Amino acid sequence: MIKLYLPSAFKFYTVALILAFTSLNSFSQDIPSDPAAISAGESLFNANCKACHRVHQKLVGPALADVYNRAPSIDWIKAFIKNSSAVIASGDDYAVKLYNEYNKTQMTAFSSLKDDQIMEILAYVKAETDKGPAQAVVKTDAATTGTQGAGASNQYLNVILVGMVIILILLIVILGFLVSALKRFLDQKDLTEEEKEIVHSPISAGSIFQSSGFVFIVVFLVASLGFKTVINTLLSIGVQQGYAPTQPIAFSHKIHAGQYEIDCKYCHTGVMKGKSATIPSVNICMNCHNQIKVGTITGEAEIAKILRAHSENKPVEWVRIHNLPDLAYFNHAQHVNVGGIECQTCHGEIQTMDVVRQQNLLTMGWCIDCHRKTDVNTKGNAYYDKLVELHETATKKKTMKVEEIGGLECAKCHY
Amino acid sequence: MRVVKSLFIGFSAAALLTACTAGGDNPGTEYAPNMYHSVAYEPYSQIVDEDAGRWLTSIEYPDGHAEFFNSNKFNPHRMTMREPAPNTVSRNKQGWLPYRFGKDSLAYAAASIKNPLDSSAAVIAGGKLLYEMYCDHCHGAKGAGDGKVADKYAGVANLNSDALKNISEGHIFHVITHGKGLMWAHGSQINPEDRWKIAKYVKTLQK
Repeated sequence: MIKLYLPSAFKFYTVALILAFTSLNSFSQDIPSDPAAISAGESLFNANCKACHRVHQKLVGPALADVYNRAPSIDWIKAFIKNSSAVIASGDDYAVKLYNEYNKTQMTAFSSLKDDQIMEILAYVKAETDKGPAQAVVKTDAATTGTQGAGASNQYLNVILVGMVIILILLIVILGFLVSALKRFLDQKDLTEEEKEIVHSPISAGSIFQSSGFVFIVVFLVASLGFKTVINTLLSIGVQQGYAPTQPIAFSHKIHAGQYEIDCKYCHTGVMKGKSATIPSVNICMNCHNQIKVGTITGEAEIAKILRAHSENKPVEWVRIHNLPDLAYFNHAQHVNVGGIECQTCHGEIQTMDVVRQQNLLTMGWCIDCHRKTDVNTKGNAYYDKLVELHETATKKKTMKVEEIGGLECAKCHY
Repeated sequence: MRVVKSLFIGFSAAALLTACTAGGDNPGTEYAPNMYHSVAYEPYSQIVDEDAGRWLTSIEYPDGHAEFFNSNKFNPHRMTMREPAPNTVSRNKQGWLPYRFGKDSLAYAAASIKNPLDSSAAVIAGGKLLYEMYCDHCHGAKGAGDGKVADKYAGVANLNSDALKNISEGHIFHVITHGKGLMWAHGSQINPEDRWKIAKYVKTLQK
């Protein structure tokens, strides 16, 4: 098999090579159409051309579909790719027309591409041209993935609850058996009429509701539930945990930070530098949305609001979610830049939230709790070197908590 | 009947109390509102209602607004920040003057401006951190133009392509500042020193 196959393959390739060399000067029929050339062309295209060209879409440069029939010749294409400015400078009509049509943007010179590589790229372009423009695939994966973590622990709780209910029913059945056994035992004895009446007294709804045991249980349950609600509510006064306001634009952190993995700091640029993490201004949105105009969930309506704000030069008035009272000072740079704390430590898993809600308490107790537990990030920070040394000799401990460098002092945050 | 009545009162009191808890659009009840709201302008939490907190107003403000009002009436769109005064020059802590080359002088900038930072490991490590913040969701961790956003945003350059492999650090600095092709300007997000650090790191990716 192999012996037979090898010579024929060899023949095929030599013929293909000869063909490729003899027909450099002509048109589309000379563009290779074998899958190997097309896939090589695809990777070359992705590495070199994709930044400015698409096959079916005009980008920085023209759409390349059908370019092999449109351009003066295949040789012209090769020359233009290798050094477009030279072709333009030579006064070539077609090149000068293109240059003017695309706002005098000069195409980078790809002098390192070889002729057969360019042919492979053209093979890919031809294959894509023949395929026609891809149909837009609408992605509708608004599935509920965010609640998985909570779901797991809920299931666990449900199993426990069902188990307990079964145990209680069993207990009632056992008690019923006990009652009937006792009745039968008492019936065998000689009892007076009065005693018989007590043994066979009928169980009615009224007798249950009026029994002191039942009243006690009901009053106890209602009172304790009420007490719990009152205490919880009083404790929640001044705490905005759970606050999830509607924003002027339905922005989803789940899509931006979760799906597309855009770093928080790309938009919240102040977080390493100052007190506020800063809410991004419209120009930062526009860095991507100048081009991306259809959203995953809301389509065009919400993104159109950004475009309008940009064209009208008006800020978007986002609603602040994490409102620390004015009586407390908090600095993002100190925590994120110096302390190296992740955003999620305080803000929760923002990258899973379509609508951001305040996850944590943000109370003083919550702050202090963390300052007691957290080690100061002293690594690679010369500011702390002497302090760490002194701390080590004084306490024989390698690490120091935030508490130990004054993290609980009133005036650190209240002044 | 007495039991039912007291139960009803208890439940309605509990229901009333739950209105104090935050959730959805309701920020919840504040305990000491006059210590919560900033008197100074706080751009992100402006109280626009001039009558907010009239019930506890103790000070007569000349323009008649109540206790909590803290919105900026004087700037357009109630913004607190203003444009720098005309003909002033901002200086950063290194004493660098603002970068003045316009968007169209890329070739000149690429050839003439030099990175003022050294190539120490600390600078490159800083550049890596900044690259991960500002660049890699489009240009990819290795600069191959394969970041997640590049699926959606057309025209992301492959920094390792032969065409870009030999660009100067000045070229990178200029492109971050003003943008190029389909990339928009990032000068407002990244300060000059950080831009130079990123340029250093991108050069290590291109090796």
